Amino acid sequence: MSRLKRIYDWFELRLQLEGPVGEVVLHKVPRDTASWWYVFGSAAFTLLMLQIVTGILLALVYVPSGAQAWNSLNILNHQIPLGWYLRALHGWGSDFMVAVVFIHMAQVFLFGAYKYPRELTWTVGVFLLLATLGMAFTGQVLRFDQDAYWGLGIGVFIMSRVPWIGGGLVHLLLGGPVIAGATLSRFFTLHVFVIPGTLLLLALVHVWMVIKLGINEWPMPGRLVRRSTYIADYNKLAHEDGIPFVPGAFWKDLIFSGAVVAAVAVCAAVFGPYGPGGQPDPSIIQTVPKPDFPFLWIYAVLSYLPPSMETPFILVAPILMIAGLLAVPFVAGEGEKSWHRRPVAILALASVAVAWAVFTNLATFTPWSPHMNAWSGDTLPVRYLEEATPLVRQGAVIFQAKQCRNCHSVGGHGGQRGPALDDVATRMTVDQLRFKVVSGGGNMPAYGKNLSPPEIEALVSFLETLHPKGQSPAIDAAQQAVENAAASPPGSQGGTP
Amino acid sequence: MRLGVLYGIVLGLALLTAGCNAMPGDPRSGPPIPPDQVTDFHILYNRNCQACHGANGRNGPAIDLANPEYEALIDDTTLRRIVANGMPGTEMPAWAQSAGGMLTDAQVNALVAGMRREWARPNAFAGGTPPPYAQNQTGDAKRGQQTYQARCASCHHTPAHQQVTSPVYLSLVSDQMLRTLIIAGRPDIRQPDWRHDTPNGGAGQPLSAQDVTDIVAYLHALRNPDEVSAAPLSNAPRR
Repeated sequence: MSRLKRIYDWFELRLQLEGPVGEVVLHKVPRDTASWWYVFGSAAFTLLMLQIVTGILLALVYVPSGAQAWNSLNILNHQIPLGWYLRALHGWGSDFMVAVVFIHMAQVFLFGAYKYPRELTWTVGVFLLLATLGMAFTGQVLRFDQDAYWGLGIGVFIMSRVPWIGGGLVHLLLGGPVIAGATLSRFFTLHVFVIPGTLLLLALVHVWMVIKLGINEWPMPGRLVRRSTYIADYNKLAHEDGIPFVPGAFWKDLIFSGAVVAAVAVCAAVFGPYGPGGQPDPSIIQTVPKPDFPFLWIYAVLSYLPPSMETPFILVAPILMIAGLLAVPFVAGEGEKSWHRRPVAILALASVAVAWAVFTNLATFTPWSPHMNAWSGDTLPVRYLEEATPLVRQGAVIFQAKQCRNCHSVGGHGGQRGPALDDVATRMTVDQLRFKVVSGGGNMPAYGKNLSPPEIEALVSFLETLHPKGQSPAIDAAQQAVENAAASPPGSQGGTP
Repeated sequence: MRLGVLYGIVLGLALLTAGCNAMPGDPRSGPPIPPDQVTDFHILYNRNCQACHGANGRNGPAIDLANPEYEALIDDTTLRRIVANGMPGTEMPAWAQSAGGMLTDAQVNALVAGMRREWARPNAFAGGTPPPYAQNQTGDAKRGQQTYQARCASCHHTPAHQQVTSPVYLSLVSDQMLRTLIIAGRPDIRQPDWRHDTPNGGAGQPLSAQDVTDIVAYLHALRNPDEVSAAPLSNAPRR
């Protein structure tokens, strides 16, 4: 007997892990379960491990104090060899983890895997999702830059609207009435101890149940889930046509997890770390803070809500969403698993996915928000002024200086609150342009009292030139008919048809 | 075969390690600078000036700062005053924090120094002596009208209501701005300077300092307060 075997036996006699581990490794799973569709859960767990390792390394340098956090991130980015890469791995790992967790959830929903007896696995999964989002948000706060500062400000404003206890909650979270030194300590504690501890514990419970209850079988149309027969059916399926979990299904998990980690590594190397952006100084107002990727959709939804809807939506919608997710296995715990026979589930998932994608996309270019520095920083395309008369040129100065550009783009640059004006002259006549500038209408404020008559005239003569080459500007046909009639000699009036 | 794979792996790892110093994600630019501490001329110009004065000081709606003649005509004190406090009677706003803008004194100085460094040229007037930047004589509007007809109207004719003689246009610009434009010209849009050289390079007959003053006096008189309300008669700020 070799020395190695003797050491192994010494430990095995005391730990007695061979039995349970062997049972887990070799337990039979239905043959169809060894599918490429069933790899997202393990990938999420792998990413959690990556986050823990990179997070521990980051914590060696990061200083959780309002005065030094931003500097310590810049030290990581610029002074410590590959410190930036460590930050990039942690940041991209976070985005991948959120994405994989959502994909995992969608897949479980689509495959009916939450049905009896896996209701609790789903419920724990919902809390795992919340914990993952909690990690993403607290992580964004720890990257203590302008985005973090204002993002936290908005989060806190949302919380402060909770009736009766809102103020107390804010105090609890920030360690005072404002974002200050104690705030970062609290978020550090949340991000490093509280939420990861919960996450790890829940993840182990989640995996335990997956092993104990078996991995969901491939859904077949017509194979219904019934409480009375399901467990016996599943065991029959697993034993009659099953394969051992390792290596039968496990190799696909390994390869996919490896690919995801490789993707994180490549993204980190190519795109680099997130920020830190500008200093978290509330006196710097030249900033356009944006939340991180997982929360962009909330940013868009809140921007589009009418103000009167904000508080009800903020307070009610999260509760409804979470309650809805928790209710899924209890409302539909039995019956069909196959997506071929669950049209409502498919439609619900598709609607949520489309809405999420639309709002996230909108949030990346914020069409609702003026671009406050467009008026001084965005040039006009040179060709727009090539044949400009002195008045038109002066109108262009008015257009820039009066900040029309902050809401209206020209040449692809500028705000998108109002329509782009590159071909506005083909849509509106001079009179209509003048009226719109003076009186506003729709989303546009009236500028009649803010601009002098010469300024309006100059502005309108500039706008009148904004039409593509070869496309004539809009004309007032009635006015032209009157002018033609006035210009033509009196005798010829009846002559034309 | 197996050896080849091994070599491949070793080579790949070596490349990967060597590439660590040049990965595209490496943030080399240094930590972001707070906006009030930026003193790089190009950043300041692109953020604050180029929308009106054009990219690289040319082809914008407002005066082309990259014109070496303009740079030679205006002295540092005046240029600095205009950047800091704005130009009354025009759309040029005040940029210095002391006048309600967003730029510190250091940033205003950086802009003035940068304009000189980038765009000023020695001997910008090629030996000629232009009329002075500031008006130092009294103008005669009548004589100015004749000079205008003789020297300016051949280009500034149609459409008449959009020309420099339009009261609407004149109420949006100051006399000093008209004077500066007449003297320094706008090479980016092929407007000649006071020497009046033709666009194809032929030498013209320069306007005298008195001519320039007279033309400005004529244009000044065309601002009719009865027809265009809220229009200034002088260089005083509007509103």
